Amino acid sequence: MSQNETTTRATDPASLPWLGRKLLWLDNMKNVDRIVYALFIVCAVLFAADFFYHKHTYLKIEDIPGFYALYGFFMCAALVVCARAMRVILMRREDYYAPNDVESEDFPEDQLSQETIHD
Amino acid sequence: MIELLPPFLVFLVGALILPMIPNGHPRSFFSLLVPIASAYLIWNLPEGVHGQIALAGWDITLLRVDKLSTIFGLIFSLAAFLSLLYAWHVRDTVQQTASLLYAGAAIGAVFAGDLISLFIFWEGTAITSVFLIWARRTEGAYHTGLRYLVIQVGSGVVLLAGVVLQYLDTGSIAFEAMTLGSPASIAIFLAFGIKCAFPLLHNWLQDAYPAATVTGTVVLSAFTTKLAIYALARGFPGTELLIYIGATMTLFPIFYAVIENDLRRVLAYSLNNQLGFMVVGIGIGTPMALNGTAAHAFAHILYKALLFMGIGAVLFRTGTAKGSELGGLYKTMPLTMIFTVIGAASISAFPLFSGFVTKSLILSASVNQGHYIVWGILLFASAGVFHHSGIKIPYFAFFAHDSGLRPKEAPWNMLLAMGLTAFFCIAIGVYPEPLYQLLPYDVDYVPYTTTHVITQLQLLFFSALAFTVLMRTGIYPPEMRSVNVDFDWTYRKLGPALVGACRYVIDTIWGGLITRTSNQLIKGFTRIQNAHGAEGALARTWPTGSMVLWIAVLLGVTLLVTYI
Repeated sequence: MSQNETTTRATDPASLPWLGRKLLWLDNMKNVDRIVYALFIVCAVLFAADFFYHKHTYLKIEDIPGFYALYGFFMCAALVVCARAMRVILMRREDYYAPNDVESEDFPEDQLSQETIHD
Repeated sequence: MIELLPPFLVFLVGALILPMIPNGHPRSFFSLLVPIASAYLIWNLPEGVHGQIALAGWDITLLRVDKLSTIFGLIFSLAAFLSLLYAWHVRDTVQQTASLLYAGAAIGAVFAGDLISLFIFWEGTAITSVFLIWARRTEGAYHTGLRYLVIQVGSGVVLLAGVVLQYLDTGSIAFEAMTLGSPASIAIFLAFGIKCAFPLLHNWLQDAYPAATVTGTVVLSAFTTKLAIYALARGFPGTELLIYIGATMTLFPIFYAVIENDLRRVLAYSLNNQLGFMVVGIGIGTPMALNGTAAHAFAHILYKALLFMGIGAVLFRTGTAKGSELGGLYKTMPLTMIFTVIGAASISAFPLFSGFVTKSLILSASVNQGHYIVWGILLFASAGVFHHSGIKIPYFAFFAHDSGLRPKEAPWNMLLAMGLTAFFCIAIGVYPEPLYQLLPYDVDYVPYTTTHVITQLQLLFFSALAFTVLMRTGIYPPEMRSVNVDFDWTYRKLGPALVGACRYVIDTIWGGLITRTSNQLIKGFTRIQNAHGAEGALARTWPTGSMVLWIAVLLGVTLLVTYI
């Protein structure tokens, strides 16, 4: 791919759009940790919520406390683990189908407008 | 006699006028008027059958207007408007014209009341849409377009075969609900299935959509597959086989979506998964399920277009849509990020977003009809779709590691198109009644109940928890520059390899035979040459003396033989 030469890692916050500057606190790993802790708390609260309202269910399995939570967590984990294992069999180099495939081609630059914030 | 103007004609006429308008803002503005006119027409069409013409002894029905065709006609017009706005900056006449004709063909097909005109529009969508892939103008896109065209036109040919058989069986070409069984219905079902990306017939989708142009993919994502959903809902509602086909469709693409690197292909896999939900709804076939299918198609076209728009904007600014090359773009493209997150929340069916009020109709219908295993699969697929479309797409494009790319925010027209689409995604989620009004049957369903909201939030937040845990423990598969072989390997690698092997065997046998035969012929001719050739024993001119001598010898031998 064509990486613009003006692209640099160190960026002056002043060159960012207003909204981008406001979101810069995500750059701090500590704040990301805070989001993760918040997620833990939200999950705990949602799990606990099952004990405090009348669940209107159709199936017996739905009556298990936290059924949806556990189902979501374990099925997703299984999904990722299986998909990761599938890579062993399925993954090929990017140019596997080349030249009859777009995957290893550059996107034609004349159809793009690769402006950076420094332009 | 045509008493009402069929909406597809608006697109046809629009596409004819369009090249005459100066390329630039005037032409882009004009292209937006076409879907507005079409939506206006469709909105005001009276229910019933209109536009019947007798053609070569057949009754062609161009306008069968009921709630099912109207909702698809409206969402197709809206999708055309939004994607043309997104493509305002495009100055390529081929793409502009193809987009209009493609949308027109799809809209023509949903109003077609007979199988002949359905076939014509069906092929129309194939032939017009391929130009959106070829417009990339690279060798790879050319080949991908050819593969796409072969499969799409193939679907039309199968449909035509079905139509002919149907006509022979019943003497009618009306497009009505069918029961799967006769060869005619099987052929028609298969033709719909190819365009609907049934399992093992699906690869054209993941192959072609990421190969189209930035704006072309947005256009492509709306029409072809949803036309197939419409056709199945019209032709095969309540066909039980569809429940299992649909459940399979929701399931296997999510595995591919997790490991795929090209984010536009991830979206193509998740599109396939979303179609599965709609197919299950058609298979269940109750009014609630069919409502779910129509509603989900409506919401899906919008949020899927929004996701393709967001990733398209990233591609437009950075030159790549690959997860392995992107990351950290939220700083410089925050609006695109927010719109993409809205699309992601909608496809994931978060409360207050469109997917929540439409997908649940299908899930509830599956429980009501006692399809518990299918319900479990759909629930898993719902969690999975959040995982790869809801989290993976925004995460790898806009967050994850900082790629160092500092692209400018998307241009105004893209932002406007994304903003409008995002507005619709939220509006449907917050206030679903207008959408429910458009559905084919009366809706007796309340999406916002305490149980539904809490259970859905549990499912989604714990899926997010799984993602976080797997990401932090390093189990989550990293994005890598790679391709994953899918079923298309059979016709892109195995097929050509088998043909190559056959060619080798035939070549060897044929070559061997030729060599052997020619060697023997040469030997034979050499012998003849030796005997009869210029210097051959039998062709030589012998001196008279030796003749006489040999005759004397011959006589002598004769004498000897006689007397001994």
